[in-house]
Amino acid sequence: MRAETGFRSIFKQELPFFWATPAFVWQVLFLYIPLFLVLIYSILGNAGLSEYLTLEHYTALLDPMYAAILLRSFMLANVNALLCTLLAFPVAYYLAFFVTRFKNHLIFFLILPFWISFMVQIYAWFFVLEKHGLINSLLLNLGIISQPIHLLNTPFAIYLVMIYCYVPFAVMPIYSTLEKFDKRLLEASADLGATPWQTFLRVTLPLSALGIRTGFFLVLVPSFGEFVIPTLLGGGKQLYVGSLISHYFLLARNFNLGASFTCVSGIVLIISGISWYLLFRWAFNLSRRAQ
Amino acid sequence: MTGRSSMSYYCFTFFIALMYLFLYVPIIVLVLFSFNDSTFPYIWKGFTLRWYSELWHSHEVWNAISNSLIVAFSSVVLSITMGILAVLYGSRNRLAQLLVLFYGTLAIPEIVVAVGLLSFFSFFSIPFGLTTLIAAHTLLGLGYVVPLIYGRYRELDYALTEASMDLGATRAQTFYRIIIPLLAPALLASALLVFVISLDDFIISFFCSGASTQTLPMYIFSMIRSGTTPVVNALSTGLLVVSSFLVLLFSSLNIKKVDMLP
Repeated sequence: MRAETGFRSIFKQELPFFWATPAFVWQVLFLYIPLFLVLIYSILGNAGLSEYLTLEHYTALLDPMYAAILLRSFMLANVNALLCTLLAFPVAYYLAFFVTRFKNHLIFFLILPFWISFMVQIYAWFFVLEKHGLINSLLLNLGIISQPIHLLNTPFAIYLVMIYCYVPFAVMPIYSTLEKFDKRLLEASADLGATPWQTFLRVTLPLSALGIRTGFFLVLVPSFGEFVIPTLLGGGKQLYVGSLISHYFLLARNFNLGASFTCVSGIVLIISGISWYLLFRWAFNLSRRAQ
Repeated sequence: MTGRSSMSYYCFTFFIALMYLFLYVPIIVLVLFSFNDSTFPYIWKGFTLRWYSELWHSHEVWNAISNSLIVAFSSVVLSITMGILAVLYGSRNRLAQLLVLFYGTLAIPEIVVAVGLLSFFSFFSIPFGLTTLIAAHTLLGLGYVVPLIYGRYRELDYALTEASMDLGATRAQTFYRIIIPLLAPALLASALLVFVISLDDFIISFFCSGASTQTLPMYIFSMIRSGTTPVVNALSTGLLVVSSFLVLLFSSLNIKKVDMLP
């Protein structure tokens, strides 16, 4: 009886906080403990019975092969994020400032790829890039080429499809900042004698900085570990961070080396993220003060 | 409008048209080839609907669809239930600072989360299958649900809850009759989002499903690797129709996906 009232009184408290705990437990159990476990795996010795801590999995990564893979993924992620942002900005700008008719339709067709299965989007490109695909048959029929060109299984295919899949991630945040933007500011700037270029640099760009940065990072972070696109469209000829990690964990079952490589990749990603963050801050300050 | 600015306007419009072409040409070709009467998927022979009937009768595809749906529905229910409880009971006391834990899932590359889950499940020798998939997808869902509902909940007027209690409603009545209806659009939007993300997820499923369980994206992945048939096109076309329908539903809820990005 006593226990029951005690139990009930918890329910009747102003804020029975333990109702909130399942989500926190889930989050810690399946995200933070596993991440900690990866860290532990990366320093755990695998020398049979003597399970001591070691740094050998990190020294094994000093081989230049790993540096080449990290550099390749670093390039892919940074180039992809940069190109996606550069392509996304005009699209978002156009939709926010120029379109009046069919605006909802245009936005619908921009959001749609967000919701289409990633795998379907990747699969669709095979019909464009294949030896008998759209590009080759177009070019052959137009007489521009006489032999089908090799497009699949090249870095070009990887970069193209990466941009295709990630561009909507960059458009949406930029569009939503530009949309909230008070258009009278542009008129005010023009009335006060600024050229369109000055208005762009000193009003539009600084005010959309947050959206641009969000879009950039939304592309940068996932594309660094991207596994599917390089595997399917690169023909597995060149290894990227994602493909090597999945090789160690799923095929080679070498959790220790896989974990240390994951940690090193994470550090590379964090460093490039911080550098971009500082670079953006510097660039937006510069643009605000531009003449 | 001066000549020069209208010229640049047309160039701009042309560029935007090219971007939309870039986004949609592959998808249109994909849909067209689902009606192609040829077993070799890349050369056009003629019109047929047989790939759709083959899709309808394919045991493997239906197996993947049912796995995907089971995982998606379970993770939606689990993440929404836990998410709303975490927001309601966690946001007005010391736990509020801990809500930041939920933003981690979005900030960490998916492959790192996947590797962590794989290590975790193998370390504790948990058998891989639907259970591990549901656990993983619920985690993924919480990363979207909690920020989205929390964002909407903070905008609610706490006075409404107080008024309801002052007028004699119990906590449960307030919850069902005041808070839930006010949060309904956010709840529905996050449910849709988690559903689609779960259906679409590849990397985490690839790491956490074990050898015998296959979800829809994993099926398409293995088909692309091992040589595909137009059945995959028919399947993709079906998925496209479902996605378009869900976007319409989602946009009618008037919440943008980007709103909940931290």
